[in-house]
Amino acid sequence: MSKPSENKNRVVETRLAASPSIFLALIVLSAVAFAGEPSPNQLPPGAMQEKAAAACSTCHEARIIVQQRMGKPAWAKEVDKMIKWGAEVDPKDRDAMVDYFSTSFSPDQPPYTAPRSTTQSTQAKVRK
Amino acid sequence: MIVRSSRFFDLETPVEFMTEWITPVNHFYVRNHMFEPAKFDAKAWQLSITGEVAKPLTLTLADLEKFSIHSVVNTMECAGNGRALQNPKVPGIQWGKGAVGNARFSGPSLKALLEKAGVKDTAKHVQFRGLDQVPGKVPPFIRSIPIDKAMDADTLVATSMNGAPLTPHHGFPARAVTPGWAGAASCKWLTEITVLDKPAEGNFMSPGYRLPNTPVKPGEAVKPEDTHSVTALTIKSLIASPSDGAKLKPGAHVIQGVAWAGEADITKVETSTDAGATWNEAKLGKDQAKYAWRLWSCNWKPAKSGECTILSRATDSQGRVQPEAPVWNPSGYLYNAYDQVKVNVQA
Repeated sequence: MSKPSENKNRVVETRLAASPSIFLALIVLSAVAFAGEPSPNQLPPGAMQEKAAAACSTCHEARIIVQQRMGKPAWAKEVDKMIKWGAEVDPKDRDAMVDYFSTSFSPDQPPYTAPRSTTQSTQAKVRK
Repeated sequence: MIVRSSRFFDLETPVEFMTEWITPVNHFYVRNHMFEPAKFDAKAWQLSITGEVAKPLTLTLADLEKFSIHSVVNTMECAGNGRALQNPKVPGIQWGKGAVGNARFSGPSLKALLEKAGVKDTAKHVQFRGLDQVPGKVPPFIRSIPIDKAMDADTLVATSMNGAPLTPHHGFPARAVTPGWAGAASCKWLTEITVLDKPAEGNFMSPGYRLPNTPVKPGEAVKPEDTHSVTALTIKSLIASPSDGAKLKPGAHVIQGVAWAGEADITKVETSTDAGATWNEAKLGKDQAKYAWRLWSCNWKPAKSGECTILSRATDSQGRVQPEAPVWNPSGYLYNAYDQVKVNVQA
């Protein structure tokens, strides 16, 4: 994986500074041992940040979105698929949602870096 | 492990772990499309076999234990492994190189269960459904495999992995294991087997897990009838060591990794340190099984200091050679271009 660029560091700092959940983010990040600096697991500031978080997080975490790098047609297809699959998006917000994702996670954004965990830690309890 | 997602739970194995023939369970990649079952209760678990059968069955875990147990060492790889290396990028979990592992799976053969239920002549496909929990209006993860593969003695309803009961992340208490095929054919938390007179329908059969019949350009529309299901894995090798970005001392080094070919056998692995101008044949590891990867290694003494890219490519018994460039496809399935790592040899 490529090393984080200066530009990427600035993006991360901006996002953390703008986030009310900075302490939560730090706790989550410190709970995993990772190589290199992982990308944030939260949606970035933007007009649709709160609505997107509400619509998507019912089913999956932000990381699944944050790791994508796609152009507008591909994002439109994904947003429409997720609405069909139950994401609650007001029809009047659909276009703004596509704009938000395709601007925040376009192909020219810095590469995504995944965190590392030391173990498969969330083993469920088995009743035998 | 590399956390691709913690909800849904998707873990990737760092490629530098791939120096052992059998992947430890805790280092075996995890791919979940949905939420894992809310509870894992071995006593309450049941497996139904219905559809195109003479005698529909419902089996408990104790019933499964009465069948003879068969073991298969299988290299399982997610169809989307290497998706992050596709250019342009495509949607989906952005797997790097490590959504692949090799484990010994054991359990009754699916054939034995199907024969007990009495498969009718009308049977064409066998559908699996697991206990994973479907959120929202997401289509359930239901897929099927052709009857010939289902009746292959090596296709299992596995209850153990590397000699221990399956863990929850790997499908406790039972999963399908369709050896040599992309992981999506090996349904976890298996609870329903339905024998069908045609392939299963639904999102994960189409448009999911399909490849264009001929290569397409990014953005080009592909008609469903011009696609086919992802089935067996393709030819592929990975370099486990040295790691990408490693700083190497001058002198002798060992380049090592793994190579697999789905239902075919690995016949050769080669490495190149001069951008493919010349290739050196690697030594294959002694451990082998029909559907299992081969370890490989070769000695290398860099001729000069500085940056060097190491390439690997594998060849199989069907004559397939790992290609220099990947075949781009809209879902990023079965990426298998030459593997490469860049190292810096110190002066």
